Amino acid sequence: MSEPPGVTVTFAEAPKTDDPPQPLAAQRVLPLRRPGRWIVTAVVLIVVAQFVHGLVTNPFYQWDRWSYWFLRPTILDGLLITLQVTVYSAVLGLAGGVVLALARLSKSPVLRAVSWTYVWVLRSIPLIVVLIFLYNFSALYQTLSVGIPFGPAFFSFDESRLATDMVVAVVGLSLNEAAYAAEVVRGGILSVDQGQHEAAAALGLPKGYQFRRIVFPQALRSIVPNYVNQLIGLIKGTSLVFYVSLLDLFGSAQTMGSTYPGDIVPLLLVVTVWYLILTSVVSVIQFYVERHYARGATRGLPPTPLQKLRTRLTDLGARVRREAAV
Amino acid sequence: MSTHFTRRSLIRGITAASAVASLVTGLGACGGNSDAATSTDTDKAGEVVVGRVSNGAANQTTIKVSEVEAISAELPAAVKKSGKLEIGIGALPAGFPPLAYVGDDQKTLTGSEPDLGRLVAAVFGLKAEVRNSTWENLFVGIDSGKVDVAFSNVTDTEERKKKYEFASYRQDNLAFIVPRKSTWNFDGDYENLAGKTVAVASGTNQEKILLEWKDKLAEKGKKLTVKYFQDSTSTYLALNSGKVDASFGPNPGFAYHNRQVSHTPNATRTAGTYSGAGGSLQGLIAATAKKDSGLAKPLADAINYLIKNGQYAEWLKAYNLSNEAVAKSEVNPPGLPLDNS
Amino acid sequence: MSAKTREARADVEAATVEVHGVHKWYGTHRVLDGIDLTVRPGEVTVVLGPSGSGKSTLLRIINHLEKPEIGYVSVNGELIGVKRQGERLKELSERAILVQRGRIGFVFQNFNLFPHLTVLDNVAAAPIATGRLGRSEAQELARELLGRVGLADKTGAYPRQLSGGQQQRVAIARAIALRPGVILFDEPTSALDPELVGEVLAVIKDLATSGTTLVIVTHEIGFAREVADRVVFIDGGRIVEQGPPAEVLGTPRHERTRDFLSKVL
Repeated sequence: MSEPPGVTVTFAEAPKTDDPPQPLAAQRVLPLRRPGRWIVTAVVLIVVAQFVHGLVTNPFYQWDRWSYWFLRPTILDGLLITLQVTVYSAVLGLAGGVVLALARLSKSPVLRAVSWTYVWVLRSIPLIVVLIFLYNFSALYQTLSVGIPFGPAFFSFDESRLATDMVVAVVGLSLNEAAYAAEVVRGGILSVDQGQHEAAAALGLPKGYQFRRIVFPQALRSIVPNYVNQLIGLIKGTSLVFYVSLLDLFGSAQTMGSTYPGDIVPLLLVVTVWYLILTSVVSVIQFYVERHYARGATRGLPPTPLQKLRTRLTDLGARVRREAAV
Repeated sequence: MSTHFTRRSLIRGITAASAVASLVTGLGACGGNSDAATSTDTDKAGEVVVGRVSNGAANQTTIKVSEVEAISAELPAAVKKSGKLEIGIGALPAGFPPLAYVGDDQKTLTGSEPDLGRLVAAVFGLKAEVRNSTWENLFVGIDSGKVDVAFSNVTDTEERKKKYEFASYRQDNLAFIVPRKSTWNFDGDYENLAGKTVAVASGTNQEKILLEWKDKLAEKGKKLTVKYFQDSTSTYLALNSGKVDASFGPNPGFAYHNRQVSHTPNATRTAGTYSGAGGSLQGLIAATAKKDSGLAKPLADAINYLIKNGQYAEWLKAYNLSNEAVAKSEVNPPGLPLDNS
Repeated sequence: MSAKTREARADVEAATVEVHGVHKWYGTHRVLDGIDLTVRPGEVTVVLGPSGSGKSTLLRIINHLEKPEIGYVSVNGELIGVKRQGERLKELSERAILVQRGRIGFVFQNFNLFPHLTVLDNVAAAPIATGRLGRSEAQELARELLGRVGLADKTGAYPRQLSGGQQQRVAIARAIALRPGVILFDEPTSALDPELVGEVLAVIKDLATSGTTLVIVTHEIGFAREVADRVVFIDGGRIVEQGPPAEVLGTPRHERTRDFLSKVL
């Protein structure tokens, strides 16, 4: 609803009405009036106002309890868990996704098959099952050891000490995330023009440099929006970590909702507002990251929201002056 | 890509993978104190405080109890040697007050179930370690040995006996809860449920009773609609919004709920009670351990010791649950029959 | 101007390119069917031929973007992409091939500039990545080369902000930044609007006078006549005839050459 209704063509100066009619060829075309659009706009505004009014005044939402809960330590602890799990899983998931994507694009049929199978399996298993299995993994395999495969172990460690609930949650989400990230990264790499690979090879650029400086930055243009989408799903996906006995933002609210059943609705609204904030922050970061990687892709960079606002205000000012002059 | 994937790039991939692995190890170090779902006992020797931070559900009471060597001698060697009793609670993400839930300090796991577990641990002379998890993980946790015994409002059923062994400790009374403005009341006769929509938790004793009534009403050409919800939070939301007329469940939870919401727009009241022993069978709540773990007998003995010496009554009284007392704890008593579960 | 005087002006050592018995096929389709060709240092060779005759494949085999099925290529006597092991040829490691490519410049029909890098970084990338020059030296070189192709004022621009002709001039600057002994041009003006062809040909002509060995696949017959030391006509994966431009373009001996020229001119 950022576009003001009506026509937004900007004229340098307002036409004067008291001038005698000019020949047709010298006239500006009168903009079409759109009364229907104005009516729809009015209706929408009324509905929105009503909704906001209801949101504020309906006792069902208990906004006083909302403000009690919004910054409670237990909610903030949950928020911290959500952030930690999201950040760790996003980074590890992307790293795993890059490795899987490279394996999938390699010439080795074994690597390709392993990568394909991993993605196939992990995308098929519900995240909840992965989490429950991992959570009880330590009970099924008491120790992990490092050594020759099927041979003697050099050293081994007690897994239950290694696997705190946080580790289990991060590993579970990362395993899941890597499968999806692999496809996103693979799609990004495939979207880079074959000519870029050839040009890099023809210049004799070292293989690692080709990937890091030529192919991957261009792949990021298509990876970033897709992966941010993933990321937003991941933020909300962390609400499953109560399956490994970790209370994230949503879990904290649910637990408190059972102890304080009168506050269930405000608690859900607290969670909603926090998720809104997190998603907004991610979207802003996305905008600037995308802008960064758009360098060279378009002739000019897209304007920032601030720049857009300024242009729009200038336009609006010109328009008001023009209408006033009519 | 136009060129081969060489051994070097493979090695690079492996290096990246091991970097990921070492990052995970690094996480282990910093994630250690986020493990909020486990709590260890802090009571003084010889006494157990029950009903702490209960948000009005209980009167905090200090109960004297110490190790009974005749009973702790019955414990499996591994448990005795570990020095602690791992008690499992399945109250995530939503607790079920006053039985098992996070208290009003908004972090401590409290409720009648973990408190009885701690009393039993004291009889064993073991340190109580209470682990909160989801309902599913509670049982997988028993299977995998992560927890020794569940005190979590688990009903003894024949189906569950295939994998678990039980020591009973409480019976439950059922009730109907309705919005306070509702005019409907339950007078003990199932006929006045005609035309109503009632929420119930699936797989429970109360569900069995409700479905029996539903069949009887159907024979008379009347209709009772039964609805299922995932957890108590969604049930209460449905009750507030009028999607269901009433919810049928354990009385203690409803009593707690009524008290909690009495000053909110969503106030509720109890519209009548019904004995959990009604119908053909008495459902029993039992401490649950892995089958053939050898824990059911010492658990029953410990509970019977607490019953005989008055601590059991003190515990129930602290939680206003005295009307759910059992005369004695039994090992693997008859439970909800197979064809009902 | 003779090849000798050009050599005197050369700022790099011009290379000899030898193609020995090269065959290339995709499945059952024969693309090259036994090509033998020697390009002397500083010589400008223009390769002509109908589309699908294998000219581009020949260029791509010279810098080993494609592997010949049979036969080999050498530059200044050094085998490209392979090494001799007794009486057999063995594939070289990827890293070694990349090093060899540094000595062979390549200019693509579609420029293939790196769109996310500035014009300056496009030209400076290879000297930096291969460790030949430090960052500031490489950028200084890039500026000098961009000046030479007439784009000194475009160093900060991104490729897509430039016209096709400007992009191809950047691509040429990029190709000579490694000071290769030979530069291969794969139809450098085919993707350009007609009015932009001249500026690119002018840059190539300038390179020709500087003494670098050039192999150019093109359809610009007039340009070939003016700049080439030798014209090679390829059809059906074989060299049909070769010689000085006046000879091949003026009095072609073969029916197929005449046929082709009549269609192009």
